[in-house]
Amino acid sequence: MADQLTLSAGTGQEAAARRIARVGAGPLLLLPAVLFLAVFFIVPLLIVVWMSFTEPASGVGNYVRFFSSAHDLGILLNTFRTSAIVTIAALVIAYPVAYVAARYGGAIGAVLLLVVTLSFWTSFLVRTYAWMVILGVKGPVAAALGWLGFSPPPQILFTTFASTFAMTHLLVPFMTLTLYSVMKRIDSSLMRAASGLGARPWRAFVSVYLPLSLPGVVNGAVLVFITCLGFYVTPALLGSPRDRMIAGAIGEEIEHLLDFGHGSAMAMVLLAATLALFFIYTRFFGLDRLWR
Amino acid sequence: MRSLAIRIPVSKIIALAIAAFIAAPMFVVIPMSFSTAPSLEFPPPGYWLGYYQRFFTDRNWLVPLFNSIAIGCGTVVLTMFLAAPAAFALDRHQFRFKALLNLLLMMPLVVPHIVMALAYYSYFGQLRLVQSYTGLIVAHTCLSIPIAILILTAALKTFDRNLERAAAGLGARPLETFLRVTLPVLMPSFVIAALFVFIHSFDETVIALFISGRDTNTLPRQMFNSFQMQADPVLSAASSVLFSLVLIAVGMTSVVRAVRSRRNRFS
Repeated sequence: MADQLTLSAGTGQEAAARRIARVGAGPLLLLPAVLFLAVFFIVPLLIVVWMSFTEPASGVGNYVRFFSSAHDLGILLNTFRTSAIVTIAALVIAYPVAYVAARYGGAIGAVLLLVVTLSFWTSFLVRTYAWMVILGVKGPVAAALGWLGFSPPPQILFTTFASTFAMTHLLVPFMTLTLYSVMKRIDSSLMRAASGLGARPWRAFVSVYLPLSLPGVVNGAVLVFITCLGFYVTPALLGSPRDRMIAGAIGEEIEHLLDFGHGSAMAMVLLAATLALFFIYTRFFGLDRLWR
Repeated sequence: MRSLAIRIPVSKIIALAIAAFIAAPMFVVIPMSFSTAPSLEFPPPGYWLGYYQRFFTDRNWLVPLFNSIAIGCGTVVLTMFLAAPAAFALDRHQFRFKALLNLLLMMPLVVPHIVMALAYYSYFGQLRLVQSYTGLIVAHTCLSIPIAILILTAALKTFDRNLERAAAGLGARPLETFLRVTLPVLMPSFVIAALFVFIHSFDETVIALFISGRDTNTLPRQMFNSFQMQADPVLSAASSVLFSLVLIAVGMTSVVRAVRSRRNRFS
């Protein structure tokens, strides 16, 4: 009897081994993470989808309400506009840093990358707090403006400008690292060839380097734009309550209005915009390229 | 040729000026944390350690600090157990639907946190996990899995598999090879991934804002609320503590990278 049991256990193990060999170890190693995300990431998202169609009544009422409300559409438009401004500003600021770091490397490249990496990993909350101090009534900017003769100094904190400015600052490191990951693979001998063939530096930059760095530009712009669409903390702390972005509106539905149907519909609009951009992006680029 | 000689410093100067702008917040937050000013005033009128003392003695800050550390540690353990096998699978195996599964694993990086906050608020409400450590650890683990996988797969790409073949050739069993060759070589990368996962959880604000209650209040939530009420100067001490954590992690990364490149140069 005991022998039979061990025998069957033995064949059981062999069968299991055969199964592993057939399926391959890859899927099995991936299974825990995939299952975990299915249960604790996908299911909660599906609940939001469900709520958007069922709270308070079943149907597409929440979406009709969203897309026929001038107020809601205004928020959506403001979100896109702000994200576009932040993306362009971050690109203009980040490009020279990434360019110098990738092109010259050495000590200056190391310093630039260190500053950018430190900033990238520093909490949004901490950096938002810093801008609160810098742009505040008793901060250096107000003092400088007062010294220049503005009295009382104009209100900067709690304006659209303050939140747009701070969001740009928050995303510049992200943009820089994205640009840098593409730029460091540009062959520097191409620029030397261009100047050897008589191109002036500026011309060589415009017709050789800039086109080669465009994939990085598209990369960075899409990722920054996506991140910006969902910004909650910075507009809530630094911005004006009048021109709110969609994440802030969703937060208010959860916290104060308790209108989960409406909140879910807004969340779905935000999610749809984000995912649409993300899928277009992965179709052409792929996220893992950034981290190599 | 001369214009080239002039242009180079200009672009470097611009880049350094922008780097100063990027670093500006740190030049404000750290001095502020030693400031004697009772409100947000810069430059500080005087310096002391009073706000650090408050931060490390006041229950309103100590409890959130403890909660964030506990949630961060829980998130690190859970994330590493899920992400490490996944990273090996993605790096070393080919199988069907790999690209699709990879996309799923990266999704938490893209979905806006506010959407997840609403999702967890409803989901954990049904599971009775709102205002619990478990809820926050689970939520933070979902968001951290892609980060850990990205860091670990990058490390695995540079791993020399000949080491494993050598061990196997010398008669080591697969498990022994893994424990005595693969794991020790990859250990620095595991530590770095764990550190960044910890920081990610430690900094996460939006989801904690909605699903942590009074008892599981996290440090970023306490900071956020403190902003909205009356900007408490202890905030700057808390911010500096958060920043020093990043400093340690980034410092460690550069040390590991430097050691590795030196080793490669000699070998």
